Formats: sequence, structure tokens, C-alpha cells
Amino acid sequence: MGLNSKFWWKWLLVGGTFCFSLTNIPALAQETGFINLYNTGVDIRLGARYFERQCSRCHGLDAKGNDETGAPDLTVRLSRASSDAGVFRIIREGIAGTAMLPVSADVPDPQVWQLVTYIASLNTDPANFDLPGSVAAGAALFTGRGDCGSCHMVGGVGGRRGPDLSRVGERRDPDELKTDLIDPNETVLPRWWTIRATATDGTVVEGWRMGEDTFGIRLIDANANLWSFSKEQMQSYERVEDSTMPSYAQTFSESEIDDLVAYLFSLRKEN
Amino acid sequence: MKRLAILLVSLSLAVQVSAQEEPFQTTMTPAFSPVTWERLLNAADEPENWLMYSGNLSSQRFSKLDQINTSNVADLELKWAYQIPVIDRAETVPIVVDGIMFITEAPSNVVAVDARTGRRYWRYDHDLPEDLRICCGRNNRGVAILGETLFMSTLDAHLVALDARTGNLLWDVAVADYAKGYSKTAAPLIVKDKVVTGVAGGEFGIRGFIDAYDPATGERLWRTYTIAGPGNPDVSSWSEDSWQTGGGASWITGSYDPELNQIYWGTGNPGPDWNGDARLGDNLYSDSALALNADNGEIEWYFQFTPHDVHDWDAIQVPILADINYQGRLRKVMMWANRNAFYYTIDRENGDFLVGKPYALQTWAQGLDENGRPIRVPGMFPTYEGIVVSPSIGGATNWWSPAFSPQTGLFYVNAFDGEQKFFKRDEEYTEGERFTGGGGQYIQPIDTYFSAIRALDPSTGDIRWEFPIQPRSSAGISTTAGNLLFSGSVDGYFYALDARTGEELWNVSLGARVHAAPMTFSVDGEQFVTIAAGNVVMTFGLKD
Ligand code: HEC
Ligand code: HEC
Repeated sequence: MGLNSKFWWKWLLVGGTFCFSLTNIPALAQETGFINLYNTGVDIRLGARYFERQCSRCHGLDAKGNDETGAPDLTVRLSRASSDAGVFRIIREGIAGTAMLPVSADVPDPQVWQLVTYIASLNTDPANFDLPGSVAAGAALFTGRGDCGSCHMVGGVGGRRGPDLSRVGERRDPDELKTDLIDPNETVLPRWWTIRATATDGTVVEGWRMGEDTFGIRLIDANANLWSFSKEQMQSYERVEDSTMPSYAQTFSESEIDDLVAYLFSLRKEN
Repeated sequence: MKRLAILLVSLSLAVQVSAQEEPFQTTMTPAFSPVTWERLLNAADEPENWLMYSGNLSSQRFSKLDQINTSNVADLELKWAYQIPVIDRAETVPIVVDGIMFITEAPSNVVAVDARTGRRYWRYDHDLPEDLRICCGRNNRGVAILGETLFMSTLDAHLVALDARTGNLLWDVAVADYAKGYSKTAAPLIVKDKVVTGVAGGEFGIRGFIDAYDPATGERLWRTYTIAGPGNPDVSSWSEDSWQTGGGASWITGSYDPELNQIYWGTGNPGPDWNGDARLGDNLYSDSALALNADNGEIEWYFQFTPHDVHDWDAIQVPILADINYQGRLRKVMMWANRNAFYYTIDRENGDFLVGKPYALQTWAQGLDENGRPIRVPGMFPTYEGIVVSPSIGGATNWWSPAFSPQTGLFYVNAFDGEQKFFKRDEEYTEGERFTGGGGQYIQPIDTYFSAIRALDPSTGDIRWEFPIQPRSSAGISTTAGNLLFSGSVDGYFYALDARTGEELWNVSLGARVHAAPMTFSVDGEQFVTIAAGNVVMTFGLKD
């Protein structure tokens, strides 16, 4: 998940259809199984800073390209690379016969990965994604038949039985959003695991796991009450890592799911 | 890839036995119930909670809790610590609602923790731009709560509303443009159905104001400028157009009197701070106490402590309200130890000056006239070469909260008998850049100067006792019905004094500057005291 996961990347790994020879893959990429480990907000910022110094004179400060230098727009889907590893390779090796020269050999791999992360982070503009669904139709389903607001907040309105979706488009790509709707159990963040706690006096409290540590557990129950237990006050507790969100695979048609995905993907800070 | 991981933990027999010895009780109380305006109005009567920055609407910072008292305070021990991940001087005063504590973190984040353990429920992380304009650290002093919503100021001059149960962002409004030098650091004040809040930025040539917002929507309901402008005859207290960059920031939390329906709020220095040549006149309403009508924000009266200030002596102190016996009559007063080294008791019905006396070393005024206006010592304005004046730029006190105990009848303030060399400089205003017109410097090591907590009789301004502090304090003060006074110092002590006499009863070295005010609360009948030092929030209680 996150900003660097292009949704077809999984297929690339599974299918094993590498568009470049294995020997070209830098050592770090091999070690980590092509996963970019430098994918946090800090990496984006450091990548952006390095980009500004080394790359912006051709690609522009906004990375949107520059006709004079012939450097392409990097905020849209790239034409020469379709994976993090591919972008890494371009930066490391340059593009032969063009002004796109490799970065200096003494630039360490992590710094290159930060550039990769930064470039990946640019490509979340919904305008760059050709999504089949309709944002307006998705919004109507969300508040209407889907009744998603009974569990989710968007823009400060809605329930507390699911994550706030006001900016979900920034953290989930369209493929992931689709999976969220049809197979909610695929990824369940620990915050949304459920815990059933039985106190020494037999009282049972069930809720979502806001925090758990060696000595204590903190929950929010379905009525949004907050509870804090010390483990020594409990007889037992049960932790379920399944999602409490229903699957919508049967509820909605393929195109309705597309509409919801388009709507969810449009939810970001600016809107 | 369906995951069905079910974890069943049966705790060991040994643990169960010990658990049975100690019956399960406390944590079965689900926290918390909505904080209505009635609860805020009567905050003093639910001392188990600390519902707002200054404890209650009169900002006395007095708690009716007395489980911890003069006889057992020496038994205090650390119960838990919460480390704020950003290293800075924490200035936060947490609030506690029914066993949940809300702590603001530098730069503009909030966490909700279990008040008994300090363990986290949720955290809100505010996105900030990189080009902030801030004068004095990446700080935040606390949240306000109404219903189930928290309100927080942010360094990019926004006001945000958060769901207190989840930390979800409900709304986020820009109060002012940070690029012009505005920022926000103080806890807002809830007044009836409004969120009242001020701005910082007095070193950037802003024009200060106090705003009220709709808690449900973030819509602005009124704005009162702290600097008189066109249409207000008091604009004549500014030469030419100097009011436009007149400062008067409002960066500390005010107080409210429900009977008079007045909000009391202090205002900061005029801009530029140290060069008054281009802003001749009294510079209203900089360095003043303002009484605002809570419904429409209109200024009902003002009291200017330092007319035409050229020493950066903001009247950014928390106004303390109490009804005290003054010359044989019960009077509704406001108590104010000002950065300019004078203590004032003011009639808060009309702003009339009742008492005024220096409470710390000062060399700039011969005294106050019958209206409380200072009679200046000639030749004390900053010069290009520099001139030594007391108090220093930081002042005889500053924003750190004073306290009043209705039990002792005393007003308490952290006082500094310092001096500094003040310089002036010619400076042009450029939007978004510092606009101060000078500065200051210490001429001797700071250890040379004297500091103390001073206890004053508000009906006379006389100092009843003082507790010396070496080298200095920038901490707030709280007192309790246990006759205790809690405060801290810049060298990292947290301590308790007897509020009646100033006698030292307990101290602990926390190892980093105490730059916040203490607060106290209880959960399930057990009293705690919390203080931030360095970037750590620490909670103390009696030994089990
Ligand atoms: C001297 C100008 C110049 C500089 C500096 C430069 N680039 Fe490029 N870049 C180009 C040009 C020209 C191309 C297009 C080459 C082609 O495909 O014909 C390009 C292409 C690319 C591509 C592939 C785009 C696509 O659509 O596939 C990436 C990725 C890229 N550059 C990243 C970078 C990064 C990261 C830096 C800084 C480390 C950088 N560039 C610095 C000129 C430059
Ligand atoms: C019964 C409550 C409930 C309802 C109704 C519900 N959800 Fe959820 N939703 C959850 C919970 C709990 C999670 C977190 C666990 C998970 O990831 O599945 C979640 C997760 C999600 C996520 C992933 C969010 C993230 O940040 O990873 C999306 C997207 C989502 N829901 C969309 C929807 C949409 C669209 C609807 C309406 C069609 C809906 N939900 C209805 C409870 C609900």
C-alpha cells in the first residue's frame, strides 16, 4: 500500500514478466525483492529536495516537464518505466542517447529510492488515472444505498465504526480501493482488529483496538465509548483480525463498484 | 488471501490470582460523556476533570481536590510519562475529561491518552507547510472541548475541530494567512456556543484580532481587531497608517464572566516592538486588557497597561477573575501581573483601576497615576546605542499562567527581577518578515538576577511572601484545596509549596525546562498532578 505501490506491480512480480534483465537490477533491489523500503513521508520530502537540486532544471520544479529541455512530465504515467525498479534503473543508468544522464555513481542507493518514492507520489492525481467509474454516481451510492456514512466519516460527517475516509484517495490506489470493497479482509490495519475482553468479574467488552501493549489494551466500542484495560484486570481477551466491514461484492454491480472507487479515489485534502 | 487470525489469550493463573485480590473496577467506566456548556460553566465543581486550559472560566487555576495536601505531598511519585516525539519545549496544559487526557504536541498535533496510564488512544497529526513564520518555537499550549469536539490552534494559523473520540478531523479553517506572519499557539476558549481564539505574530507586523467561530461548522461569527482602525476614533492613537502593522497579537487564552457576559483577553506589543518613532501615540489597544461582549465581540471597555510600549511588554497574561473584598466591599475584579513589572487589580465591570504596584524590579516608571497610567521615567526608550532598562524584554513575568487561591485569597506569579540593554533599529515593513525595530541583550549572566514566586494580596498589591528561584522560572502555577501550590523552573525542577506560607514541601528534578503550567485531576477517586518538562508530560500521584 502507500504511494509507491502501482497496482499492476503485483502482477509484474507474479507473472515474472520483467521488462529488464535481472543482472541490471541493483543489489539493493535484489535484496529487498524489488520493494522500495524508502517509502515514508520523510523519504518523499528528502526525494523532493534532491529532485529540486538535481532534476528540476530539466523536469521543472513541479516535475511537470519542460519543452525546451525535452524532459517529460513525471507526474503522469511514465512511458519508459512501469515499476519502482524501472524508475530506479532510469535514474541510476540514465536513458542512453538522451539528455537524461545517470546520477553520479557516488549517490547512494537510498537516495535514488527516495527519488523514486517522490516521483511515485506525484502520480496520484486522479486526473492521471483513467477510471471507468463516475465520481458523482459513487458519491450518491456512498451516502445513499451504500450507507457507508453509518461507519465512515468524510469531511467530518459520518460514523466512527470505520476509518475516516476524507483523504483515502491519498493512501489507497484504485485497485486497493476495489479490494477494500469486495474483499475487506485482504488488508485490515491493526487499528481495526476487534478485541473481546472479559474482565475478572465476567463482564465482556468488545470493540476496535485503538491501542495494545504489553500491559494494556484500549478500545472503542460500537457506541464510541473509550475503554482502557490493564491486562492484569482481565480474565482473557480475544483478538480477531478480520474486518468488520461487509463485502460489497454481491451488493453492488461491477460498474457500481467502479463508481464507488472513482469517488473514493477523489477523496483527498484539496477536495 | 483471506486472513482469519484469531488470537485467544488466557492470562496465566498467577496473574489471575493477583487480579482477584485486586478487584476489577475502575476501567469498566467507559469514558467519556459530552462536555456541555453547563459543565464548562461549573467546571470548578467537577475537580476530577480539568476541562479547559486555565481550569475554569475565571482562570484561577485552583482545584478543589485535596487528597494530595500539605501532609502527604512529599509522597508523590511518578506514575507515567508521555514522550512527545518532537523535541521542543512543551508548553502544553493537557485537559482531562472523565479519565481521558488530551495532550497537544509540538508542532500542532493532539493525542488522547488514558489519564491513569498515559497510554494512547489516538493521535491527530496536522499537516503544516514548510515555510512557517514563527517567532518563538514550534509550540502549542492546549485544546478546548465542547460536546465531543476538541478545538486546537495550529502553527499555520488554522483552527481545527477534532472528534474527541477518534481524533478524526471535523473541520479545518484558516483563521489568517500564515505567509503574512500569523500563527496560532494558544488553547481556544469556549464561550457558550462559540469557540473564541486569538492569533500570534506580533513580531511580523500583523494586525491582531480575537475571533469567535461556530463549533459545528467553523464559520466565523465575529472578529474584533485588537488594533483600532478606520471608523474607530481610537485610530488617532496611531500616527499616520501605522495601525496597519500595529501588532497587538492575542496569543494567550482569555477568561469569561457569565454574569457580565464579558470575555477578557490580553493583547500583545505594538509593532514594531522596539522602535516607536513611526507609530507615535498610545497605540490602542496594544498591551491592553480587553473586555468583549461575548455575543458580538464589541469592546465594552479596555485598560491599557503600557501606552506606546517600546520594550515588547505584551499584556499576554491570563486574566484571573475573582470576587474579592476591596475597601470593605465585595468587588468583581480582574487580577493582572503584567510583563511591565506592575501588578494591577481592575474592576472588571467597567475597567476601573483599583490597585497598582510593582511586584518586580523596574526602572522605567516612577509609578502609576490615579487611572493606572504609568508615569514614565524620561529617557528610557531604546536607543541605537542601547540603554539598560528593567524589566528585561522577557518581562517581569510573561505568558506563563499565574494563579489565585480562593482559600488563601492570594494571587501567585513567577516574577523575574531582570534588566536588559534595549536597542532600536530602523526597519521597513515587508509582508511576512520580522518587523521588530530593534532587540535586546543581557549585560550580565542571567544567574546574576533574582527570581521568585511571589504571593500578592490582590486588595493592596502587597507581597505576602516569596519563594526564591535560581536561576529563573518560565512555568505556570496551580493551587489546590490541599493548600498546595505547584510550579516549576527553567532548570527542570517541579515542586510543591505551602500556598499559605511559601514553605517548600516537595521537589523533583525532571531534567529539562518546565515551560508549561501544572494541572491536577482525579480518576476513580485518586488524585494526580501533571506537568510538562522538556518534551515529556509527566503525571504524579501518591504512592500506592
Ligand atoms: C539535463 C536534463 C535532465 C536532467 C538534469 C534530468 N533529466 Fe530526467 N529526463 C530528461 C530527458 C530529456 C528525458 C527523456 C528521455 C527520453 O526518453 O527521450 C528524461 C526522462 C526521465 C525519466 C523517464 C520519464 C518517462 O516518462 O519514462 C525519468 C523517470 C527521469 N527523467 C527522472 C529524472 C530524475 C529523477 C532526475 C534527477 C536525478 C533527472 N531525470 C534529471 C532530462 C533530464
Ligand atoms: C459496518 C461498518 C462499515 C460499513 C457499513 C462500511 N464500512 Fe468500510 N470499513 C469498515 C471498517 C471497520 C474498515 C477497516 C477495516 C478494513 O480495512 O476492512 C473499513 C475500511 C474501508 C476502506 C479502507 C480504508 C483504508 O483507509 O484503508 C474503504 C475504502 C471503505 N471501508 C469503504 C467503504 C464504503 C465505500 C462503504 C459503503 C459501500 C463502506 N466502507 C461501508 C467498516 C464499514
